[in-house]
Amino acid sequence: MAVDALAAQPAQPVPPGPLRAFWASFSENKGAVGGLVVLVIIALMAIFADVVSPYSPFEQFRDFTKLPPAWEDGGNWKFVLGTDALGRDTLTRLIYGARISLFIGVAVMATSVIVGVLLGLAASFLGGIVDTVIMRVMDLILSVPGLVLAILVVAVLGPSLTNTIVAVAIVYLPSYVRLVRASALGELGKDYVTASRVAGVGTMRLMFVTILPNCLAPLIVQAALGVSNAILEAAALGFLGLGAQPPTPEWGSMLADSREFIRSNPWIVTLPGLAILVTVVAINLMGDGLRDALDPKLKRS
Amino acid sequence: MIKFLLKRAALTLPTFFALMFVTFVAIRMVPGDPVEVRTGERGISPERLAQFRHELGLDQPIWKQFADYVWQLLHGDFGTSVVTNEKVLTEFFALFPATLELSAAAMLFAVLLGVPAGVIAAVKRGSWFDHTLMGAAVTGFSMPIFWWGLLLIMLVSERWGLTPVSGRIDLINYYFEPVTGFMLIDALKSDQPGAFWSALHHLILPMIVLGTVPLAVIARMTRSSMLEVLSEDYVRTAKAKGLSPFRVIGYHALRNALIPVVTIVGLQVGTLLAGAVLTETIFSWPGVGKWLIEAIGRRDYPALQGGILLISSMVIVVNLIIDVLYGAINPRIRHGR
Repeated sequence: MAVDALAAQPAQPVPPGPLRAFWASFSENKGAVGGLVVLVIIALMAIFADVVSPYSPFEQFRDFTKLPPAWEDGGNWKFVLGTDALGRDTLTRLIYGARISLFIGVAVMATSVIVGVLLGLAASFLGGIVDTVIMRVMDLILSVPGLVLAILVVAVLGPSLTNTIVAVAIVYLPSYVRLVRASALGELGKDYVTASRVAGVGTMRLMFVTILPNCLAPLIVQAALGVSNAILEAAALGFLGLGAQPPTPEWGSMLADSREFIRSNPWIVTLPGLAILVTVVAINLMGDGLRDALDPKLKRS
Repeated sequence: MIKFLLKRAALTLPTFFALMFVTFVAIRMVPGDPVEVRTGERGISPERLAQFRHELGLDQPIWKQFADYVWQLLHGDFGTSVVTNEKVLTEFFALFPATLELSAAAMLFAVLLGVPAGVIAAVKRGSWFDHTLMGAAVTGFSMPIFWWGLLLIMLVSERWGLTPVSGRIDLINYYFEPVTGFMLIDALKSDQPGAFWSALHHLILPMIVLGTVPLAVIARMTRSSMLEVLSEDYVRTAKAKGLSPFRVIGYHALRNALIPVVTIVGLQVGTLLAGAVLTETIFSWPGVGKWLIEAIGRRDYPALQGGILLISSMVIVVNLIIDVLYGAINPRIRHGR
């Protein structure tokens, strides 16, 4: 009888695993899910650009220059989003542009996160002169307005895709260093760190295995938003002629090329910018969701 | 208070010094010879070349060049443009009022729209206004402003013919010597009817473009800060006392909600200056941002060096002022450090 009663009891609810809990919290935010979906679509198009896009981004159809999108008067369904001044297919160039912009965004983020984590941990663990020097250098970087600093770096190194990544990574480095340093300092005083120390854990292990995982949540949020900032900054450099050089189908430099057609062919100007905006909005919406899910302290009410 | 001020000011000194060092080293790493820029494509005799190098101090050892550079900076000499032969400092401050006017207008636009919008969104939380505004805010700070500028020119200037495309004033109809460098003020002083309106007309689009990102940031910040304050006890007390909702929100809540917003406004100074580079380039606005980009194109390194140094110094000083002001308002910060 007693055994039966026990068996009849409903099963205890299992606490959800960390991934499930994260997804449950993340998917509450409709904007974040929408952003994620759009971003996945853009990323897939970027990865499979060779398969998805109708032409080569450099192929010039001299008989079809400056076509409007297909649904406009004079459009041609062979070129759905029209062509540019050299007769290159706009849709194709936008898809390849996604590849370049996302690559820049991720490369910048990865570079500044890795360097930022190393410097931030070094500053918090070693303290003293190392801490002072690192943080003063970060203050210096912060004192130069982002784009101006990127312009200086590109002016020195010369305009190219790689140098754009270097320049923008330097611009966003201080935020990661400060973030990692601050959260590591916060963790350093806690009991579990002392316990690990007493147990004889080495400095390296303490840094990367004991403490770093506990600083990850704000870092991930910052990194997600960092991708969108990097894309914007790189596009701005491209627009100023200091980023990726023609004929690279980079969104910012496509915009710069199109400036002279602002009167005659407005859609040549409209489309690349729209691509930048949609991508950046998608990433930012997703980043907001990430923050709400990972870092309840920062949750926007 | 004096001690706090001095301490904060002293902390910026190494930053200034490092800034000098970085601009000095960076400009020397630039490919291309500044002497050749000055002499042109055709080339000149080796003697003239050596003389030029000597004039520019490029035949000195590198440490001596840096020492001279710092010495000159400390005496207010930011170098001479190799293209126009003007003092960099003179050129910079001739153009700076244009940038300042544009940035101030953009900030004003952002605050005057952003704060009320954020307050209404917080009070009407969950309403369609709230949702629309927050959607617009995400779009706003995701905006590539160089594209936004082109788009507005296309629509407002080209299609609807409402505003001019570029410049600060209609130069065909109005001309006067700059007195303050601020076009709005100079136009008012010039006593030419219509000059002020022309200047204002030219300012509108660049102002909106440069103000968009700060507007989005301020609206979001005001909303979340207001939401936090609205749940505080003193707001409930004020309501319970029977004060009108307008007074509770506009006076009791807003005053406290604005504190973080003021900080955000201060932090936007760097963003504004960086945005000014793009905005000025799009609208041919004759300010320091456009000048900086042109300096790169002309390989005018002294101008680039001096310009970056001056802009960064300004950011450092503004941040210092905000820090000190904040310490004056909020004693917790002053004594915390």
